[in-house]
Amino acid sequence: MGEVTVSALRDVSLDVWEGEFLVILGPSGSGKSTLLNIIGGIDTPSSGVVRFRDDDLSEYGESKLTQYRRLHVGFMFQFYNLMPNLTAEENVEMATEISPNPLPAGQMLSLVGLSERRDHFPSQLSGGEQQRVAIARALAKQPEILLCDEPTGALDISTGKVVLEALDRVNRETGTTVIVITHNASIGEMGDRVIRMMDGGVREIIVNEVRKSAAELEW
Amino acid sequence: MNVLHKKLLRGLWRTRGQSIAVTAVVFCGTACYIAIASAHSNLELTRDTYYAQYRFADFEIHLERAPITSLFKLEAVPGIHQVRGRIVRDVNLDVPGREEPSVGRIVSMPNRQQPVLNDIHMVSGRYFSEASQDEVILSERFARENGLALGDTIFASIDSNKYPLRIVGLGLSPEYVYMIRNIQELIPSPERFAILWVSQDFAETALDLREACNNIIGRVDSSVEIELVLDRAEKILESNGVIAKIKKEDQISNRFISDEIKSLAVTAKIIPAIFQGVAALILLVLLNRMVKRERSEIGLLKAYGYSNLTIAWHYIEYALVLAVAGSILGFLLGQWLANGMIQLYVRFYEFPILRSRVYPDILARSIGIAMLFSIAGAVLAAFRAVHIHPAESMRPEAPRFGKRTLIEGMPMLWRQLSFTSKMIVRNVSRSSFRAVLTVFGIMMSTALLFLGYFSADAMTYMMDFQFSAVQREQLKVSLVTERGKSALHDIARLENVRRAEPLLEYPFEMRHGWHSKDVAVIGMGRPSHLQKLIAEDGSEIDVGEHGLVLARRLADDLGVKPGDMVTMKSLTGKVEETREVVVSKVVTQYLGSSAYMNIDALSRLLNESFAMNAVLVSTAKGDERDINLSLKDIPGIAAVSIKEDMRQNLVDTLVQNMLFMNTMLMGFSAVIACAIVYNVTTVSLAERQRELASLRVLGFTQIEVGRILYRESMMLAVIGLLLGIPAGMAICRLIVIAFDNELFRLPYYIDRLTYFKVVGLITIFVAAANWAVHYKVQQLDIVEVLKERE
Repeated sequence: MGEVTVSALRDVSLDVWEGEFLVILGPSGSGKSTLLNIIGGIDTPSSGVVRFRDDDLSEYGESKLTQYRRLHVGFMFQFYNLMPNLTAEENVEMATEISPNPLPAGQMLSLVGLSERRDHFPSQLSGGEQQRVAIARALAKQPEILLCDEPTGALDISTGKVVLEALDRVNRETGTTVIVITHNASIGEMGDRVIRMMDGGVREIIVNEVRKSAAELEW
Repeated sequence: MNVLHKKLLRGLWRTRGQSIAVTAVVFCGTACYIAIASAHSNLELTRDTYYAQYRFADFEIHLERAPITSLFKLEAVPGIHQVRGRIVRDVNLDVPGREEPSVGRIVSMPNRQQPVLNDIHMVSGRYFSEASQDEVILSERFARENGLALGDTIFASIDSNKYPLRIVGLGLSPEYVYMIRNIQELIPSPERFAILWVSQDFAETALDLREACNNIIGRVDSSVEIELVLDRAEKILESNGVIAKIKKEDQISNRFISDEIKSLAVTAKIIPAIFQGVAALILLVLLNRMVKRERSEIGLLKAYGYSNLTIAWHYIEYALVLAVAGSILGFLLGQWLANGMIQLYVRFYEFPILRSRVYPDILARSIGIAMLFSIAGAVLAAFRAVHIHPAESMRPEAPRFGKRTLIEGMPMLWRQLSFTSKMIVRNVSRSSFRAVLTVFGIMMSTALLFLGYFSADAMTYMMDFQFSAVQREQLKVSLVTERGKSALHDIARLENVRRAEPLLEYPFEMRHGWHSKDVAVIGMGRPSHLQKLIAEDGSEIDVGEHGLVLARRLADDLGVKPGDMVTMKSLTGKVEETREVVVSKVVTQYLGSSAYMNIDALSRLLNESFAMNAVLVSTAKGDERDINLSLKDIPGIAAVSIKEDMRQNLVDTLVQNMLFMNTMLMGFSAVIACAIVYNVTTVSLAERQRELASLRVLGFTQIEVGRILYRESMMLAVIGLLLGIPAGMAICRLIVIAFDNELFRLPYYIDRLTYFKVVGLITIFVAAANWAVHYKVQQLDIVEVLKERE
């Protein structure tokens, strides 16, 4: 059986502004994860151009992409992806170790309100707590872009809100560009812009005049 | 083919790297077992048949001279049921066309062919005819090496007479399967040592032993204690000058083959156990991981109604396929190796027939062993598969709890560690079985390497010790009888001789308390420049005016230490009285175990003012052969041995053997180390794909991610090395102890370079295995891995 090419994205053209909070909305299979992966430098498009500032990411090789992720990008996942055999603090340290100007792990944990639980292992933390550790880990590198793949997908509403609040604060206070992908339409209300995706293409771009805070959201 | 078999094949393909590693280990184990066990069966069977067919004697007594009539007295001893008197003597042999003299051992045979003890196997030609007296049956190998054929004539120098001997037959004998003249030779030099089977009449005349013999061989009932029988025999022969009494097990040729057979038997037991054990452990890790990975598949199969037995069998089958594949391939290599070993044995041992054969029972046993071990390795995984509950299996496995490790109890140290190190420490404690397996594998592999290098080191050391430190002469000239100082001057005067020193070698019985030993005592001149005594601390010592210097082994056998007295009695009838002599020192000796004395003191024990029966000669390098030629014509010389020839012969053969052994051991060691490290790391990688992929997302490079895996196996390898080196040293010590006998001792010596070589090779093996895993790290598809739910 030969490989069959399946296009996840087609004719997508998009600008992301520095410091904005961007929400990408779409059902599963709409290509939003692929878009995020391409922006994050863990996937490359088969054709087209991806620019980060003046550089063309689509021309980057494996090691340049790694450098790009290392220096500029922070990632968060639906299932947290923490190292099960490292404590909360060590999970954050992991990121500080490869970063040129990291923030101290302890400070990052207090930022997400988890200094009390620094010595706990992921299995001893709740889902929301784990996701906050993931935020702390992503931010410890002081990335310019924070990419979040369904960050609340595995969480209940109230925990989800805590996590989203943390993201909102990061965006406002540090000016980090935040891109959140989700199928939860109400999260869109807290972004500067919302991109609706469908069948591998951008269906619509909505600019929010007013960003709602996480607490105001309902779903 | 049913669905499960298809799944099995796909599984094998998916884990092909690991499957190949398991197969390789089984393959090595089987090949080794087949080779060694076949060689063992082959040698043992051949030896036993040969001994039985040609009536190999149970004992041998060397004496001065015994009348034929004394044989009747011996035959009357209860337990002895067959004796034969022979005339045996080493003589110088002149082969036309060959410059250097060879040594021939005259062995008398009945004038007319009849079944006798230590009979000859005729390879070609015929037995002696009645008519003529100058016929010889020559040992076949010597004839072959020297291009001699039936009808050719060679010349034996016996007591200043030169006897022409016509070759009428070529033969072999169970007595000379391993053909060395004495233990110092260690390795046969087939072109320089011949057996001359001559008629009784010829021997009696030429050696002046009419109606007499100087060598008695016999057989005893298997029910009697051979020591007791030999003591009785010695009493009876007291007046005939018993020089040595030798049991079958101490007979040089038999000793060498039987030791070889014994060590083959032991190796054949140990080697498969090591390899199949390692294979079983790797299977254990591999299949446990597989069952874990296929949890939901197994649940699904069960939900569809597949029975527990079918599922358990599926995993056992996986192991069996690898075991059988490894065995079959191993059989092919093993048979080839067995053939190679037989070729090697043919060079060293003179058997009428020694051919490589296929032993179905050995093949069956080896496949059986491989299958048993592989089932043992699979059984736990099969068990786990059986215990998976269909409903539960669809849910993800409960998360694993992170555990605190011992080092975390020491926060000072823990904080110093980088996150990578912390990860390694935690992971090692999380999968401690795999860590132990890695350590164990590296330890094994280190010990094997060590063993290979040790035997080379020890042999080299022993040869240097013997041929450079102890024996400083170029030639040793043995005289037919004891002579005075004039013989020394005769040789010293020869052209090119730099220095000549006398030696007196004489057999004595030594007693201390209830210990007693027949010993060749060596009288040395003073100062002795050509033969040195080396104390156990490595310093050269002087033989002294009086007193005995004993080899360590001999001192232990007699239970004496310096300052003790031993009773010495000459074994030849010349001097009747016994003397008390003090033991002055103990020395190191690896070949044989002798006693040393000042030559004057030893002569006085024999009631002579001065006697000698050998001369050590030093020459300028390269002059040995000229001197040897001029010695050829001096009467009264029994034999000349050139040290360099002996050494060269040893080096040639040993170096070849060791190269072979070392290559094998190195290969085995590599297979074990690589197979274990590769498998453990692969399983570890598979289990932690998700973690490692997240690291890659965070911006860790491939190398940095790989490093977490490699550092872990390198760290475990270091522990394995640290344990493996002492383990290897301990095994070497055991070997030294096992080899410690009167004939031969192995020094415990390990060259400093060996440590570096072992560490270097193990590093290479581990790096190679990690390099193979690195390929998988490169293949790691971040997007795919992160898509899946845990």
